[in-house]
Amino acid sequence: MPSRRFTRPRAAAVVVAAAALLLAACTSGGTSPGQESAEPVAGGTLTYASGDAEPSCLDPHVGGNYPQALIATQYLESLVSLDEDGEVVPWLATEWSESDDGMAWEFRLRDDVTFTDGTPFDAEAVAANIAHVQDPATASSTGYLALAKIQEVVAVEDHLVRLELSAPDSALLESLSQVWVAMESPKALERSQEENCAAPVGTGPFVVDRWDRQESVTLVRNDGYTSPPADVEVPEGATLPYLDGIVWRFIPDSASRYAALQSGEVQVIDNAQPDTIVSAGDDQAIVELDAPRPGASNRIELNSGKAPFDDERVREAFIRSVDVEAGIESLFFGTAERSYSPLSSVEPLGLSEPDLFTVDTDAAARLLDEAGWTERDDEGYRVKAGERLTLDFPVSTNQSIPAEQSLFEQVQADAKTAGFEVRLHPLDLSSWYGALAENDYDLVSAPYTKVGPDVLRILYHSDSITPAPSGYFANLAQVDDPELDDLLTRAAATSRDDERASLYEQAQRIILDGSYILPLYDQQNHFLHSSSVHGLRAMPTVSTPTFAGAWLAS
Amino acid sequence: MPGTRRWLLLRAGGVLFVLWASATITFFALRLVPGDPAEAILGGPGSQAGPEALEQVRREYGLDRPLAVQYLTYLGRLVSGDLGQSYSLHKPVATAIGEQLGATLTLAVCALALAWVLACALAAWSVRGGRVAWAIGSGLELVAAAVPHFWLATVLILLFSTTLGILPPVSVPGPLGVVLPALTLAVPLAGFLGQVMRESLLTAMESPFVTTARARGESEVRIFWRHTLRHAAIPAVGLSGWAFGSLISGAVVVEAVFARQGLGRSLLSAVQLRDVTLVTGIVLVVALAYTVMTLVTDVADRLVDPRTRAVAR
Repeated sequence: MPSRRFTRPRAAAVVVAAAALLLAACTSGGTSPGQESAEPVAGGTLTYASGDAEPSCLDPHVGGNYPQALIATQYLESLVSLDEDGEVVPWLATEWSESDDGMAWEFRLRDDVTFTDGTPFDAEAVAANIAHVQDPATASSTGYLALAKIQEVVAVEDHLVRLELSAPDSALLESLSQVWVAMESPKALERSQEENCAAPVGTGPFVVDRWDRQESVTLVRNDGYTSPPADVEVPEGATLPYLDGIVWRFIPDSASRYAALQSGEVQVIDNAQPDTIVSAGDDQAIVELDAPRPGASNRIELNSGKAPFDDERVREAFIRSVDVEAGIESLFFGTAERSYSPLSSVEPLGLSEPDLFTVDTDAAARLLDEAGWTERDDEGYRVKAGERLTLDFPVSTNQSIPAEQSLFEQVQADAKTAGFEVRLHPLDLSSWYGALAENDYDLVSAPYTKVGPDVLRILYHSDSITPAPSGYFANLAQVDDPELDDLLTRAAATSRDDERASLYEQAQRIILDGSYILPLYDQQNHFLHSSSVHGLRAMPTVSTPTFAGAWLAS
Repeated sequence: MPGTRRWLLLRAGGVLFVLWASATITFFALRLVPGDPAEAILGGPGSQAGPEALEQVRREYGLDRPLAVQYLTYLGRLVSGDLGQSYSLHKPVATAIGEQLGATLTLAVCALALAWVLACALAAWSVRGGRVAWAIGSGLELVAAAVPHFWLATVLILLFSTTLGILPPVSVPGPLGVVLPALTLAVPLAGFLGQVMRESLLTAMESPFVTTARARGESEVRIFWRHTLRHAAIPAVGLSGWAFGSLISGAVVVEAVFARQGLGRSLLSAVQLRDVTLVTGIVLVVALAYTVMTLVTDVADRLVDPRTRAVAR
């Protein structure tokens, strides 16, 4: 028998403690809905909950993905912005001009802006930023591509900067509007990458105060804020921003995120899922902000670089046999609209061709017969020379939301009726990249966010079939068409708007007519916020929300 | 006691072996999975890296060298106590772990305590309640032990936050924030502990010392707390090492659902980002804690119970 020394059961004490804890919990109340008021109210701290992965670096020059863009929009600003019609408007640059040969651009800069560390914003600062993005040590990906054609930056005067290009670039202004190439304090950029990643310094309405990893980033008001983009109207007598600060949280689980919004723990959430949006529709205290991302639409790419999709008839047969429309309706509950374009609906130059995507199973069967897939095996799949008509479809579970993954399952079922065996492979991000690098796919869906139609060149020019050393390439449909290449190259170089529009239209027609892609919908970007939040808007550039003019009803 | 010293040395060697094995297995397992770490380092979703940037990253992190060289370099650094640099966090692994360890330990300790409270409370109730209560108790334990964390977490959030509005659905500073996450981890663990206890509870209740106590006129409640529970708890206490391990694996889910800081969440994102140094760092810390806890329980057992000493020899 063990020792006879006996202490009073400690468990009892723990029971009491637990009960006390529960009681304490009961006394904390919920929040009451705020009073509606038309006049902006200054003050208050807002909590934002992001469902995206926590960035590994708060400086969007480094790497350059959407989660970084979301938060960096609150403290960094760009040379130019876009208004709601997609027109380029002044921001940190007040005016600009392109040389006749398109090889140089001059930007006149605002002379009354300072970074939040006191460093003045000037031509040297622009040069330092472009150099930072282009420095391989920065490891920029998105920003690096956006500025690829800039060869030299010359500080002509204190507040006049000239960008010299290696080739004319009709997308330069759109590229510069993106937060991935926003302006940071040159003095702050001289710090180590570790330091700069933890607290980048910009000119924006908020300042990064502290970052508790996996908990939150605390942003505080920039008291000296003077530089909203030109399309923002500041009410007389008001100074932006209204909020004292933002607590930026990371809540990866979609149900918890919504529960946190409902309970008033947070006021704004992103990545709202279709079922949540519908359920929020019944809630008076919750408002939706739908901000489709620019660049490419979400689409399924058909790998034309290898059998069986190297045969255009097989591609068309696939597209004609799947009823995407019905799937979107039933799985997205009306929160996503079907797209028929390679470009997002927010791109003014997008070309939409609904007729090419009507379901026609008879036509599909005829096309497959013509292509030699005449027999069927005992499971009902089409067969040619003893080979089953099989399509591999790696699905990135990081990038495809559950509703989209279900949609792919419906595509799989529809395609089966037509005789295609679609094999879905749910993969984590790195494995998914790996499958693409190995050319181990026939179907794939990959998002691509970029301002402007130049995204078509990145996605469908044959240059993008050549894999980078990593094996990654953006032309996942492996479209290899000299005529298309020519159109895209000329569109990127022209300085005439009408010519640019016409070239991009022809380019999109080739992509759509060639059955290379099956457009689904815009890149979904739904935000839900408490009705106490006012003045929240999405930037017309990359559709990230900005809190510069946001205020909380008291 | 030369036997004890030899035993301790053997056990310490075992600890080192477990640490080496976990570092090695983790290192190679992450490299066997397809995918390019350099691509992941450069931002992941929605960003496509240029060739120069990728080359730079590979050079900087030594990813361009042969795998064997990378492994040996890594082991060499580990031996000198350097856990390396996390490329997904842009900071030393030791710092990254240090920032998150406290939150996970708090959660694990609270959950363990809560699990004991729940298991004992259920046992106490069902022992008093006769045959029906006994059946209900053991049924509840079975269900509790089988409940998956993610499901339980969602149900608890729906109940306590969305419907009743008394507890925050995501972690908040202070003790309130830990209640739901700890409860989520505690319920399945309580099920396991309860099941283990119930067996020995049964034997203890039929033991002569219980009969003696009854003969002395002690109440059933008193007999339970003073005699049978103590007897029944011994095997469950021995499970503490295992329980700790299970709590850490549960933390991966729970920390994500409740948006709590912690090593579980670090581990999840590190695996997704192929951050080999961070993953191995976390695995090492967890393995160390696990083996040390097992060692401590064994030593305690040996000191308390002479029977185990005889067996160990």
